[in-house]
Amino acid sequence: MKLTQDMTKEDKKMLNGIFWRSFTVFASRAGATKAHAPGFMYSITPALNRYYKDDPEGRKEALMRHTTWYNITQNVGTFVMGLVASMEKKNSEEADFDSESIVALKTSLMGPLSGIGDSIFWGVLRVIAAGVGISLASQGSILGPILFLLIYNVPSILTRYYLTYMGFSLGSTFIERIYANGSMAILNKAASTLGLIMIGSMTASMVKFESKLSVPIAGGKPILIQTYLDQLFKGLVPLSITLVCYWLLSKKVNVNWILLGVLILAIILGLLGVV
Amino acid sequence: MFKEAFLAALTVFICYGGNWLFGQTMIERPLVVGMVAGLIFGDLRTGIIMGASLEAIFMGAVDIGGALSAEPVTATVLATTFAIVLNVNEKAALALAVPIGVLAAFISMFMKNVVMNLFAPLVDKYAEENRPGAIAVMHYVMWFINYFIFSLITFFSVLEGAKPVQQMVNNIPDNLMAGLAATGGLLPAVGFAILMRMLWSKQLAPYFFLGFILVAYLELPSVAVAALGIILVLVISFKDKKLLDIQNKQKELENRPVSATGITDSGNETKSDQEEEDFFS
Repeated sequence: MKLTQDMTKEDKKMLNGIFWRSFTVFASRAGATKAHAPGFMYSITPALNRYYKDDPEGRKEALMRHTTWYNITQNVGTFVMGLVASMEKKNSEEADFDSESIVALKTSLMGPLSGIGDSIFWGVLRVIAAGVGISLASQGSILGPILFLLIYNVPSILTRYYLTYMGFSLGSTFIERIYANGSMAILNKAASTLGLIMIGSMTASMVKFESKLSVPIAGGKPILIQTYLDQLFKGLVPLSITLVCYWLLSKKVNVNWILLGVLILAIILGLLGVV
Repeated sequence: MFKEAFLAALTVFICYGGNWLFGQTMIERPLVVGMVAGLIFGDLRTGIIMGASLEAIFMGAVDIGGALSAEPVTATVLATTFAIVLNVNEKAALALAVPIGVLAAFISMFMKNVVMNLFAPLVDKYAEENRPGAIAVMHYVMWFINYFIFSLITFFSVLEGAKPVQQMVNNIPDNLMAGLAATGGLLPAVGFAILMRMLWSKQLAPYFFLGFILVAYLELPSVAVAALGIILVLVISFKDKKLLDIQNKQKELENRPVSATGITDSGNETKSDQEEEDFFS
């Protein structure tokens, strides 16, 4: 990456400090009003200590403005940390810098960054990793959990690292630009497409239903209902149940009710001898 | 049962607390928790297999924006402990995991949003006193308190709950057992539905069915599906990119007077897009 080209040793030391501290950003949660503010303050402390070295009043004000609510998907949140570091730098150098703009920008980036971060890391990368992991682990292989961790963490830690640097050097115009020129839309579409393919494939392999019911035939072997169902469309019942759950969710039914509903449905089917 | 209770609670603390201390590295997911619990109780294979089933069930239980539907760590540890230590039927242990997970999620949310709120005034106080060191210490203390209290739930569940659970499971009639076994197969549907909510749109819906058919009929393993998916997505993205470039150029032509700056802009765009795609693949 050419990102580090015109950075001083000091810059790199500070950004690496932020990168390492950012791993703990969600370790504490100070209630619903501040969320992960302490973790954020802890993560950007290297920047504050550097730029307000001879200005205790300045550092105090900086700490106080970052006590507000913070929550961004953590692998992409480092972009904001780098960005805040570059803005605190400006604030410490220019007397007429509007310090309010730091918090405003930080807050305005939370929604868009978490949106893309959640769908890429939670919706796609984790789903691919789990798909590979589950298929190996269900045969009892230790490779399952290990590959799961590697597939998820290698790209996610690299992203965390590079975004720290990108936030510091590219700044907020970068985000505005990739939203404005449509690149973000392409990335979003690509991530959702891949995610849906994986979820579809896992619906087929992991949602299981097998009926024990059979139709007795005079003078012959009884025919299992399940054979008919498979001839109609393989995995018809699992697919339908998944789509019904999706439909209920989109009708804003609480997840826990749906979970309990499926639980009860399965138990009733068991009691009736269907499964 | 004291030793087992302690070990189970330790597993919760390591996996749940560790996950959030070390950058959400997914060591809280059932795949990993099952393996750790299996290792600790001396039956790695059972732990890994239970982890795989539970991962499918809890696939959609994700902590996004602080709203959790079911908490997978406690559920996985208790289900695995019951299966290995008490020799409870694996299928029944899986069915037990879901209500435990939902209950644990409520407790976790209560801890994080209500109990931990007690520390919120301290954050302001230390900021005002200009003490980043104190904030750092408090950050770690809050972490410890939260996950320590949380693992106590598992400790007492195993200590007090083991006997009644064993008795209950041993007395389950056969057809109820069949129903419980079926829950393990049907519950992943809810998880996938939650994930679909995040990604679904009318234009992209066919890809969900494509993934389904690739496995249901062609019986491709998940690595193959992922690889095919990545190739497909790359091809589509290149095409989208071309279309976008044409659109952007058109816009540029329409705003002729500022075309001088426009050209340099689009040069940068291509570079950043390249990075985007590199990063994505």
